[in-house]
Amino acid sequence: MKVITPEGDKVELLTVNIGPSHPATHGALRNFVALDGETIVASVPEIGYLHRGFEKMVERGTYQQVLPYTDRLNYCSAILNNIGFCHAAETMFGVEIPERATTLRVLLGELSRVIDHLVCVGAALVDLGALTNYWYFFNPREDIYKIWEKLSGARLTNAFTRVGGLYRDTYPGFEDEVRAVLPVVENAIGEVLKLVEHNRIFLDRTRGVAAISAERAIAYGWTGPCLRATGVDRDLRKDEPYMGYDTYDFQTVVGSTGDTYDRLMVRMFEMLESISICRQALDRLRPGPVNTSDARLSLPGQDKAYHDMEALINHFKLVYEGVRPPAGEYYGATEAGNGELGFLIVSDGTGRPYRVKVRPPCFTQFSAYHEMVEGGLVADSVACLSSLNIVAGELDR
Amino acid sequence: MKPSAATPYHQAAEPATAEARAAFEKAAFAALAERFGATLDPLDQWGLTAVVDRSRIREVLQFLRDDPSFRMDTLLDSCGVDYLEYPGHDLPRFAVVYILKSMVAVSHRLRLKVWVEEDDAVVPSVHDLYASANWQERETWDQYGIVFEGHPNLKRLLNHADFEGHPLRKDYPAQRRQWLLANDPMIDQLEARLRVLGYEILESPAPTSPSLEETSFGRKK
Repeated sequence: MKVITPEGDKVELLTVNIGPSHPATHGALRNFVALDGETIVASVPEIGYLHRGFEKMVERGTYQQVLPYTDRLNYCSAILNNIGFCHAAETMFGVEIPERATTLRVLLGELSRVIDHLVCVGAALVDLGALTNYWYFFNPREDIYKIWEKLSGARLTNAFTRVGGLYRDTYPGFEDEVRAVLPVVENAIGEVLKLVEHNRIFLDRTRGVAAISAERAIAYGWTGPCLRATGVDRDLRKDEPYMGYDTYDFQTVVGSTGDTYDRLMVRMFEMLESISICRQALDRLRPGPVNTSDARLSLPGQDKAYHDMEALINHFKLVYEGVRPPAGEYYGATEAGNGELGFLIVSDGTGRPYRVKVRPPCFTQFSAYHEMVEGGLVADSVACLSSLNIVAGELDR
Repeated sequence: MKPSAATPYHQAAEPATAEARAAFEKAAFAALAERFGATLDPLDQWGLTAVVDRSRIREVLQFLRDDPSFRMDTLLDSCGVDYLEYPGHDLPRFAVVYILKSMVAVSHRLRLKVWVEEDDAVVPSVHDLYASANWQERETWDQYGIVFEGHPNLKRLLNHADFEGHPLRKDYPAQRRQWLLANDPMIDQLEARLRVLGYEILESPAPTSPSLEETSFGRKK
């Protein structure tokens, strides 16, 4: 296309579709760009290729049936989504879940955060051409997936929490396996850091690339590691502690320039903090129930349901009608792998949510993408995209 | 690399407490009620949702964003809700909910609600106050058919460009199926973006994707 630049030059721009089906788009995203040589002059992204109607499906099921759907939001860290939804629903009920369930949620949530960041950083380095790091990261990730498999029966879509607690308790030997996997992850982070920290190619490809200021990031509604990379020290686990995060000793990791390098490094060091939280959670893990005894939420258990009429009715009603929070509207948020994952739940007092709006952290981050890649090279737009950790599952819902 | 205490975004001295949140909500609602005639939404039992008139939503958001005692600098989300089948509901059918937060003060969180009538589903756009509203409003239009007046590019965001109807409306049947064939070449959006950046277009590009006739394979819509 022929255009006149703001400087008054007549130039010929080339229009190119980057994506939707491209290995570097991590899912299906389309970025339609006008190029001047190799420089992106203007960019308009298109999303929705993975839109499955999550919010419509959710209105047809009970609160417990929503859980498997939440797995498919950010499928790199399914348990963090489960926790986010259950935590919001439990606040509507006003119930406290048992201590063992809370501690296990913290432990599993932080392990999920670790694998989420492993995927993000590993895949981002692949996009920069550094394939070795990917294998260094995906081996420990596989070890964690083996734990997930034993724990919940599923590797990717765990659906491990329930409104009011957890699906079930852990298996014998779980704690030892988690304790064994933590140094493996630490070792992998150390190895990758050695490979990239002073690597000329990595630094040239990421430093100062696709930077965003704190003010712009806030205007676009950013949260999570990407916002922290711009120097804004905000983390829901610190600022609005839930599930007892205020009793754990950990640091937030903050960048300064908001470029691709900062976004990747914030995630890298956040994993170490998560591992430290995991160790503290393991230390305070004590035997006990993992589900609340509140009959509005928890199944009565086989022994009671088989021998007690009221318990059988309770079981029947909980399964058929679902748990019933009081009528009203509530917005609950937790810190997921990518930032603030919020659920706006509108309840009409029945067992099915009247309306659930997910506030996916990716959505606001990707809406700033065009601004960040304009003026950069095509290859930089790929580095920027993978450092934002856009997961199409939660972006498109 | 911790940010210095001079920036407003350094780590909060202490986490948000229930008392600080309640005090903020009380102060914010008092100010909104006095200046803009806001009322409380009885549906929200757990936090604070202020209901404001849609004609004043821009003023309200600008006030909350710029007033030094509130600093609601982040629009986390704005979305639609359809109350068609909500039991005992006698207010307008739709609502647009704005979820706000402050990155300066950790205990500042607030929701705003605007009622929207079905036959006059128009709300002023706030894309120039919060950059995040641009896509959020497109999504709300896409899913609920609520028009955002003044939006520069009110196109579908999640559903296919060809889609008919607004799927999250309660009267949209979940099982309804549609043939969706057309491509969105997006050339108009790209040209609009170039104009924003100060370029003058002399000649439009040819579409980079095949036209509807080429991809429909004889199927009727």
